[in-house]
Amino acid sequence: MQAEFIDHIRFGVISPEEIKRISVAKLVIPDTYNEDGYPIDGGLVDQRLGVIDPGLKCKTCGGRAKTCPGHFGHIDLVRPVIHPEYAKIIYLLLQSTCYKCNRILLNDDQITAIKPVVSDLIVKEEELPEASAEHENDSMDLLKRIKNIKKCPHCGAEQPKIKLERPTFFYMNGERLKPDEILSWLSKISNDDLKLLGIDPTITRPEWFVLTALLVPPVNVRPSITLESGERSEDDLTHKLVDIMRINQRLEQDIDAGAPQIIIDDLWELLQYQVTTYFNNETPGVPVARHRSTRPLKTLVQRLKGKEGRLRYNLSGKRVNFSARTVIVSDPNLTVDQVGVPRKIAESLTIPINLTQWNFEDAKKYLESTEYPTVLNVITKEGIRKRVTDINREELLKEIQPGYVLERQLVDGDIVLMNRQPTLHRISIMAHNIKVLPGKVIRIHVSAAYPYNADYDGDEMNLHVPQSIEARAEAKFLMQPRDLILSPRDGKPVMFVEEDELSGLYHLTKEDSYYTKDEATLMLSEIGIYELPKPSKNGLYGGRDIFSLVLPKDLDFENKSKRGHVVIKNGRLVEGSVGKNEVGEGDGKLILKIFSDYGPRATRDFLFDMAKLSLRAAYTAGVTISIKDYYMDEAFNKAKDEMIKGVNSKVLDLYSKYKEGKIEPLPGYTKKETLELEVMAQLEEARSLSDNMLSKHLDNTNNAKLMVTIGARGNMLYLVAISMLLGQQAVRGRRTTRGYSGRVLPFFRKNDKNPEVKGFITSSFFSGLKPDELFMHAMGARDSAVVKYVAITQSGYLQRRLINAMQDFYIDENLAVKDANNSLIETIYGGDGVDPTKELENEKAKE
Amino acid sequence: MDLIPKHVIVSASDAKSIAKKFNTTLDKFPKILESDPQSKKIGAKAGDLIKIYRADPTGKYVYYRFVVKG
Repeated sequence: MQAEFIDHIRFGVISPEEIKRISVAKLVIPDTYNEDGYPIDGGLVDQRLGVIDPGLKCKTCGGRAKTCPGHFGHIDLVRPVIHPEYAKIIYLLLQSTCYKCNRILLNDDQITAIKPVVSDLIVKEEELPEASAEHENDSMDLLKRIKNIKKCPHCGAEQPKIKLERPTFFYMNGERLKPDEILSWLSKISNDDLKLLGIDPTITRPEWFVLTALLVPPVNVRPSITLESGERSEDDLTHKLVDIMRINQRLEQDIDAGAPQIIIDDLWELLQYQVTTYFNNETPGVPVARHRSTRPLKTLVQRLKGKEGRLRYNLSGKRVNFSARTVIVSDPNLTVDQVGVPRKIAESLTIPINLTQWNFEDAKKYLESTEYPTVLNVITKEGIRKRVTDINREELLKEIQPGYVLERQLVDGDIVLMNRQPTLHRISIMAHNIKVLPGKVIRIHVSAAYPYNADYDGDEMNLHVPQSIEARAEAKFLMQPRDLILSPRDGKPVMFVEEDELSGLYHLTKEDSYYTKDEATLMLSEIGIYELPKPSKNGLYGGRDIFSLVLPKDLDFENKSKRGHVVIKNGRLVEGSVGKNEVGEGDGKLILKIFSDYGPRATRDFLFDMAKLSLRAAYTAGVTISIKDYYMDEAFNKAKDEMIKGVNSKVLDLYSKYKEGKIEPLPGYTKKETLELEVMAQLEEARSLSDNMLSKHLDNTNNAKLMVTIGARGNMLYLVAISMLLGQQAVRGRRTTRGYSGRVLPFFRKNDKNPEVKGFITSSFFSGLKPDELFMHAMGARDSAVVKYVAITQSGYLQRRLINAMQDFYIDENLAVKDANNSLIETIYGGDGVDPTKELENEKAKE
Repeated sequence: MDLIPKHVIVSASDAKSIAKKFNTTLDKFPKILESDPQSKKIGAKAGDLIKIYRADPTGKYVYYRFVVKG
């Protein structure tokens, strides 16, 4: 496709003459259909405006419902009305020109002075000296001050005070200026004066801001719908236009009948109201026009505005073909670069093959085939699309020649885009190579879930098939997960192993991990390795030796962390168990190392092998939990009760200390606030005490504890909540306080000092909550749910605004950040010109 | 440590070559008001270009701002 460049665009205002010129029908009857359900001539659905009912012919172009684009009509307004959206400009013009001679309120010297400046704003006719910056500012100031000029420099008339009462009423010295008076005033302003005010008179005359004729959009713009009962329901715009015409007609009759001025003025004002709401039914200061059902009418501005308006809903966002959406499921048998696509989807989505003399024979084979990878459509040189059926296949086979396009079903290896909403960052859309698989859902690799922020509890994802070779190339070279493993935020991996894989890795690489020949063979065959490492002792195979087989042969790596010391020498894991710090969320140092030293493909393969191997190891080890892991014995529960007693008495001590006035207030707090803070700190302490108690009590034979220790799932607080106590519940960062006077729930004693009455829960999920505890817990849960919701909506809006503000920024060849206007944003990207995804580990170490 | 990085007025000829280096015109540079305390301090007038020696957590670099009236 060849891009066309727009040289320039000029916006102007439509004139009554222009309206009449493009209008195909003058509408006079404020009605739509007659009793027989036939469109009334001169009514709002006049057949000259186009047709939408199948079977009828357009009286203007002779086209049918599908071919007639619709034609504009017009209404002649018997009295002019102000166009509400232009009231502000009219106001400006009335203030800037003399009410008597209609000249601009500037003297000739001032006019010659500002001419060079304003001539820049509109069409240049004569060559004028270039305006200096200072001169420009002075001229702008002059134009700003023009409305304060009291006396006309041309005819010497004292200028009256003009007032605008929103939205459309003008007053001169307190007296109402009617639209016809404004019309004649505006039409007397000279073209030369208009240019000085920044209006190009060749396309916009100010009297056109006052409507004498109203353009009526074709019926295609406001189609009526036929209900099941056969009743017709008109579009809101048609309703509004009927209202306008009805008032217009009554006004005309009253004027002809010589009705008193007050009645005419009232109707005139009503006409103004109808026209104002026709343009914008949310005009400030005007009552909203409603439907019979009291629903506000959706008029012109409402069609365009906001999230569901034409711009954001239909133009910025469009529905697309060549896409699919299903629930997703994880599949460790795919690499991160792949996606499992159900046969059904692969059969209905297509990719075009442009026939050439070189690919002709290969492509023909698809068309010859009567089953799965076949051609669904043939597009001729003229662009006519023909559906392939068993009947016309032979015929088409003879017909095709280079220049034709075949639309072929998807096959393994085709590249598609995957997307999960909300699309918060670029890795929410990535390109995957498809693998056609049985089943009905799309499958993605476990490690590809993180960048999409997906899980498998019912998440759905969208799939798009790029149709042009340009789009496919872009997807292939810029969007494949293997190339996006490092985050542009901090250069850390966004694809790594989690949960069960970390559990498996622990079992595989922990000290004294040995497997029988059978186990080792089974494990390695999963990842296509058919040679066992050297057995270590008693014919057993070391877990670390097995793991080493997925590492690049000459890898040297060392990592010290809280969780231990890991050493890899010459591609062999010699010390430590590989865990979260090496291959998990966060630093993922081993992944980073492999990515920087061996590249994207090696990293992708490493992730694949490691995930499969570790999952197998998890199965072999039998990573599981049961109720037993959360059961605490009698002795432990006694110790827990002691601990709680201790905390309680400490809290009561604080209260008595406060009562005796012995409490020392913290800086900036009152004594009472200090008390509350200290009590809360004390209760928080109960949690960390419990944490310590439980950590000591449990060992790594407890799988729940083990998962916490190796960072596979959960943290100690979860275990504490399940097995010991929930602890203090908070609402708005405070202990629960609101409720009955002096107490939260009715059955507490007033002003009780016990922590339990303010949401300190001493039960656990295992033991079950007491009724009052359950209530406190629900209060805390509701509060966090609300906080979460608010945080999401606020950050979503912030995100939208940032995206809109920065969408056209780019980094130029000097590493400077620019935008589409060629404005400089930053002299060097990020202050250092570094792309974190390209800055690899070794270079980082140098700094 | 200085709270505000050092601001310096760039000579007109240098400003021209800087604009050329960034392949744009001076009015497309980030703006600073004439009434900004830093402009006042160094006596920059509308039309001048100010060079700023910034030290961000990411590194040291030079930034430019074009002085506008106001």
